[in-house]
Amino acid sequence: MSVTPATARPPGVWALRFASMTSFLGRLIRRPEGFVGVAIIVFFAVLAIAPALFVGPLETVTSASGKRLEPPSSTHLLGTDNLGRDVLNLTVHGARISMLIGFLATIVTLVIGAVLGIVSGFVGGRTDTVIMRITDFFLVLPTFVLALIIAPIVLDIIGTGEILGIRTTLFVIVIVIGITSWATTARIIRSQTMSVKERAFIDRARVIGSGPWRMMRVHILPNVTGLIVANAVLIFAGAILTETTLAFIGLGDPFAPSWGQILGASQDAGAPGLGAWWWYVPPGICIVLVVLAFTLIGGALDDLLNPKARRRR
Amino acid sequence: MTVATPRQRTLPKQADPTAPLLVVEDLKTYFTLDSGTVKAVDGVSFRLDHGEALGIAGESGCGKTTTALSLVRILPSNANIVGGSVRLMGIDLVPKSEKALRRYRWREISIVFQGAMNALNPVQRVRDQIAEPIEERLGVSVADARKRAGELLELVGIPKARGAGYPHELSGGMRQRAMIAMALACDPAIVIGDEPTTALDVMVQAQILKLLEDLRAKLGLSLILITHDLSVIAETCDRVMVMYAGRVAEEGPVSEVFTRPRHPYTQKLLAAFPNIHADRRTLEVIPGSPPDLRDPPPGCRFAPRCAFAMDVCSVEVPPDVNFGNVRVACHLFPAGGEGGGVVP
Repeated sequence: MSVTPATARPPGVWALRFASMTSFLGRLIRRPEGFVGVAIIVFFAVLAIAPALFVGPLETVTSASGKRLEPPSSTHLLGTDNLGRDVLNLTVHGARISMLIGFLATIVTLVIGAVLGIVSGFVGGRTDTVIMRITDFFLVLPTFVLALIIAPIVLDIIGTGEILGIRTTLFVIVIVIGITSWATTARIIRSQTMSVKERAFIDRARVIGSGPWRMMRVHILPNVTGLIVANAVLIFAGAILTETTLAFIGLGDPFAPSWGQILGASQDAGAPGLGAWWWYVPPGICIVLVVLAFTLIGGALDDLLNPKARRRR
Repeated sequence: MTVATPRQRTLPKQADPTAPLLVVEDLKTYFTLDSGTVKAVDGVSFRLDHGEALGIAGESGCGKTTTALSLVRILPSNANIVGGSVRLMGIDLVPKSEKALRRYRWREISIVFQGAMNALNPVQRVRDQIAEPIEERLGVSVADARKRAGELLELVGIPKARGAGYPHELSGGMRQRAMIAMALACDPAIVIGDEPTTALDVMVQAQILKLLEDLRAKLGLSLILITHDLSVIAETCDRVMVMYAGRVAEEGPVSEVFTRPRHPYTQKLLAAFPNIHADRRTLEVIPGSPPDLRDPPPGCRFAPRCAFAMDVCSVEVPPDVNFGNVRVACHLFPAGGEGGGVVP
């Protein structure tokens, strides 16, 4: 590492943070599973950021470039679907939708989970009981069933249209995933909060006269951030799977094809029966790869942050 | 630097400048447990004057820390002050609401916590933690508060630049110094040191005590030092208060109490301390163990372990008897007998 901790004058905050972040990332990708995981995520992230750069604009019924159900060839590397659209084009553009939904849903989940977890653990008493009973409710309810019920309701509330250039249907999926998966996060963050709360510096902050909100923001949140980040990795993988399932059964946005959407369309058109494997295999592999990548990173993080667990194996 | 000049503080509105700094009378703090009520502090009275250092001594669980924390009511949720008064410059803090008390916490009475590692937030810069009370209590801007935090660090002997580090980057002694800097942040009248040197090695311990003494002289602080280490009190304090099982056994000037202990418990406590000049190889032991404070013995609480116990000791609570500056609660000294008691 180029930054040595023993320099006479401490470098700036951001330089230090950046150095510790790069060194952590360095240790992460030095593990084989960490490297594979990060490589896959970076690959899909690049695709998601600029899909048009690789495969041109998203093909629609009117701009379809091939005939219907063409098998893979040199012009259509992954063949075409029943409308003559290039499957490679759809899959790459699907990466954008899937990753975007996964990302936004993770943020929604973490914000709800972390806020409720910290408030519940910190305030305690009746507030804690009420929040935790609600959490239990969401915890025991099967995510998917809940999502099925909530999706049309949310769609009805916010209506169709566009927000910031993104179709509201996508937000519906994001909100639904957020609402259904925050419970685990809240539980984890709450337990960590309760442990941090008992440390002497919280007493000190209280004597100094910090209000509860400041204590939660300045003293509790930074101490549970590690846990939130570790949790994010798992939430992301789960969010992509939930999105796929919802899109597959038709709750996605037909005009913004995600991987689940492509799978659903191919199933509707009877692609497996028609032998058009090139239609549904690529998005399927993408989903498996992304979820696998997050699981690998999760495992590598676990090893890195908790060396005891490694020795136990 | 303003810190070296005599204190120019804004006193609380209701403060009476002629009243003594701190007078505690008949303070009672009880803990409510499932198995009963623990009378951790049961009728403690003492007084602290401007610029004075008071040491509170006693074995673990005798109520030293609870007494000190009761002053600004930083108690666990199951503890309650059930009686008595705490008069700071004439203002009784006991009936104050939690909100009203915030004016006094840290600005008038601050605390150096024991175990600096735990009392510092591991993921916040040391400088920012010291600046926190200045921002919060005095309404100073973040930049000014940080500047002042830097000055405070210099005052306790830590280079300003180290304030940008995190607690784990400082040594144990430095962390304790940082805690002291934090206690001084709002220029308080009274600093409570709750075992401030307990987890430190002897050299660092001596440095920290020296620092506290210097600061006391320089800033005109009053100090309450809680410790079970009698040598610390002998070295830094003007007066000592020996506590046993939630009550004051003996209280007076350090020189007087340590050379002529009157209460049998004080005598035993001093005898149980290694003396560098004596050729005694074995330390004296006080037989038995402290009473269960859920159901303390009636009369004198030390009676079951006392070698001089009389019949009256287990029946009547001994009244305070004054010998000049010294106050003793023991039946060996008949009330009103100014110096007339039998000194065993």
